[in-house]
Amino acid sequence: MIQTKYTLLGICLSLLWLIFPVLAQDTSDNAVNEIAQKMYCPVCENIPLDECQTATCIEWKEEIRNQLAQGESEQQIINSFITRFGDNVVGTPQDPVLRAMTILFPIIAMLLAVIAGVFTFRRFGQYQKLKLEDEPTINQPSDKTDDGYRQRLEQDLQARR
Amino acid sequence: MLAEIGLTSLIIAFLLSLFAIGASVIGERSGNDSLVLSGRNAALLTFPAILLSTAVLVVALMTEQYQLSYVWSVTDPQTPPIYRFTALWGSQRGSLLFWSLLMSLFTFGAIWLNWRGERRLMPYAVAYMMATLAFFLGLSLFLENPFDRWWILPDLPEAEQVIESAFIPPNAVAPDVERLSETATGLNPLLRHFGMIIHPPMLYLGFVGFTIPFAFAMSALASGDLSTGWIKATRRWSLISWIFLSLGLILGGRWAYDVLGWGGYWGWDPVENAAFLPWLVGTAFIHSVMIQEKRGMLKVWNMVLIISTFSAVMFGTFATRSGVIESVHSFARSEVGFPMLLFWAVITIISVALLLWRRGQGELQDEHQFANILSRESMFVLNNAVFLLLFFSIFWGSFGLPIASELFMGKEVTIGAETFEYFTVPLFIVMYVLMGIAPLSAWGTMSLKRLGNSTTIPMILTIITIIFAIVVGTNPLIAILGYGIVVFAGYVALYEIYKGAKARHKSIGENWFRATIALFQRNQRRYGGYIVHLGVTIIGIGIIGSTVFQTEAQYTLLRGDSVSIQDYTVQFDNYTRAQAVDGRMMNISEVTVFRDGNPIAELRPRIDDYPDLPMTIAGAHSTLENDFYVLFLGGNAERATFRIYINPLVNLVWWGGIVLMIGTFIAAYPKVTATPSRRKRDEVEAST
Repeated sequence: MIQTKYTLLGICLSLLWLIFPVLAQDTSDNAVNEIAQKMYCPVCENIPLDECQTATCIEWKEEIRNQLAQGESEQQIINSFITRFGDNVVGTPQDPVLRAMTILFPIIAMLLAVIAGVFTFRRFGQYQKLKLEDEPTINQPSDKTDDGYRQRLEQDLQARR
Repeated sequence: MLAEIGLTSLIIAFLLSLFAIGASVIGERSGNDSLVLSGRNAALLTFPAILLSTAVLVVALMTEQYQLSYVWSVTDPQTPPIYRFTALWGSQRGSLLFWSLLMSLFTFGAIWLNWRGERRLMPYAVAYMMATLAFFLGLSLFLENPFDRWWILPDLPEAEQVIESAFIPPNAVAPDVERLSETATGLNPLLRHFGMIIHPPMLYLGFVGFTIPFAFAMSALASGDLSTGWIKATRRWSLISWIFLSLGLILGGRWAYDVLGWGGYWGWDPVENAAFLPWLVGTAFIHSVMIQEKRGMLKVWNMVLIISTFSAVMFGTFATRSGVIESVHSFARSEVGFPMLLFWAVITIISVALLLWRRGQGELQDEHQFANILSRESMFVLNNAVFLLLFFSIFWGSFGLPIASELFMGKEVTIGAETFEYFTVPLFIVMYVLMGIAPLSAWGTMSLKRLGNSTTIPMILTIITIIFAIVVGTNPLIAILGYGIVVFAGYVALYEIYKGAKARHKSIGENWFRATIALFQRNQRRYGGYIVHLGVTIIGIGIIGSTVFQTEAQYTLLRGDSVSIQDYTVQFDNYTRAQAVDGRMMNISEVTVFRDGNPIAELRPRIDDYPDLPMTIAGAHSTLENDFYVLFLGGNAERATFRIYINPLVNLVWWGGIVLMIGTFIAAYPKVTATPSRRKRDEVEAST
């Protein structure tokens, strides 16, 4: 008999747990802040919602608390705010074009810098190679007579003699 | 009468600056030396003229001259004297005048110190400096006049009777003084903090200071004197500007930490970033000019960097004053927005055109080529690339994308800290790695083996530090790696100082202390630079500690209740309301902080009531280990809500900043050269 009572109580509690997700949700300040820190104040520039104490932000935090109590997930809550107030309530735009522009631009800039770096350093390598190839000619006088600079130098020396 | 004196001296300064531009350029072009001297004297005179104008405004602020609309808008009868003085830069009009004052002061100093040494560069440098000054004076005179006064025109309908004007309109009468003092609005609450007394002047000094190397660089291009003269003449100006800009940024962070009440010091908001952008490109410039001085390389690149630094300064000034940060539409409504944008664009275009022209003439040829990827110059170029990537990424996130999105897609977007960190953290890691390796490489050429050998000792020390961090239970792995990279750069700086001192100790026989001091005296720039690197290392350790290991929690407590967080306990003791000297009401909570059961601090976090903006002022117990930082979010005598942060190592950010200042000061300090008599005495001492 006692066992049946406890079984019934257990079933009731489980049903309550399923029917009223509020009981399964943590609606403490910390839970609200955890979501609010992923959102931004609609009035102040770049101030996360959890840190902002304006009247609007306090209202928004209460709304998050209510939505949590109704069993909504973090993403559902954030999405509902984006739907109503636009992309500027979160730190990275949700619009696919803007999101791509936000994330891709720095990556493209870095890639371009890497490519430019590779080309530049390859040029250094070629310069080094040329320098090495030129070195023996410094010690052994070249027979080339088409070196304009050399010719001018020789002429100058002749004139001085 | 005061307003008339201030306005007249401002007009005189404006006319002097215009005359200085014309006389310097025409005098130099026509070879008329007396005209050039006349231009110089006019430029020198702008400083006393603007000083008088500023002094008048300060007197008006201190003596409550509310008929001046600027005084009316930034003070009220309750404002304490110190904030009456700092109200000079508390709003647009006063801060523009203050900007001009600093610009004229720097110009005065640059002319005074460089006229004889860099005679050929000076006329065009004066013209550039005066052009910048004339622009800002023009803004003050025609658009944002700090000497505008309130007037009443009784003949007009009631709604249009009150007007602002610098000159007395016909049939106008002055408003009742008492009525004006009753309605005066007072200083923005956010600016009533000690940090705000120093932070804006430091930033302005940094911004204005970079105008000097820019003016000399442009003068080198205009005059054709493309030797390293302009770099030598402005090296100290660049370093001094960099010190001020760095100090401004650090104080701004400290102010945000104390006043904005969010437990952090850097929020990546556009105003902060607008000041950070010139610092990034200015830092690249400070490193890069060394290559031109040592190796005669990167002549075009250095010009590009100094133009970019000045451009970033102008953009930062424009962005924070034009309203473009709030919205593109605010920019359209702003009076100074368009002129600033125009000036910025014109001066940048002229500078770039001048650079391209000289380059086209083949006058900016490098004297050496990069010989090796591991050479110090290559490392500096990589360092430049990292700083510029940081610059472009932060510019894009703060201004480029939000403006483009609003203009072309009609959407307002927020780029938050997490997005900035996504692309800046990898770049900062590369920056620290380069900061570690570059000092070990040599100018010209460097083999991998030699570089590897020279990293051995710092690397061993780094590994020992990492093992120590693991043993004391540091995790996650990312923090350990972060610490490893950051401390490696610091160990390299210390090791280089040790190596230099050891060499002197061995070869000359000096004791270690004397050897170290002599080392710094002989090569201030190099060893001052290592101290700067050490400061950046300490800041890096502080940033990793205070971000990766920050603990944050919010609690509502009944009076007498306590709550534990890590090994701390906080007890809510009391709540009171009190009135401050400036009339604001303060809601003060009193809490006791215990650690391991022992009371360690009594804090009074509070909320200050202002009509539109309640301010949450934290109470913090600071040690080198961490800050126990408490915010009072609201409540009464029975019940209060607190947000508590434990910010490990956060104080290293400020201490690192001080070390960075000391290092820069050493690098910029004028070299002490021995006089002939001193040299002779030294020789005698040595022979005996």
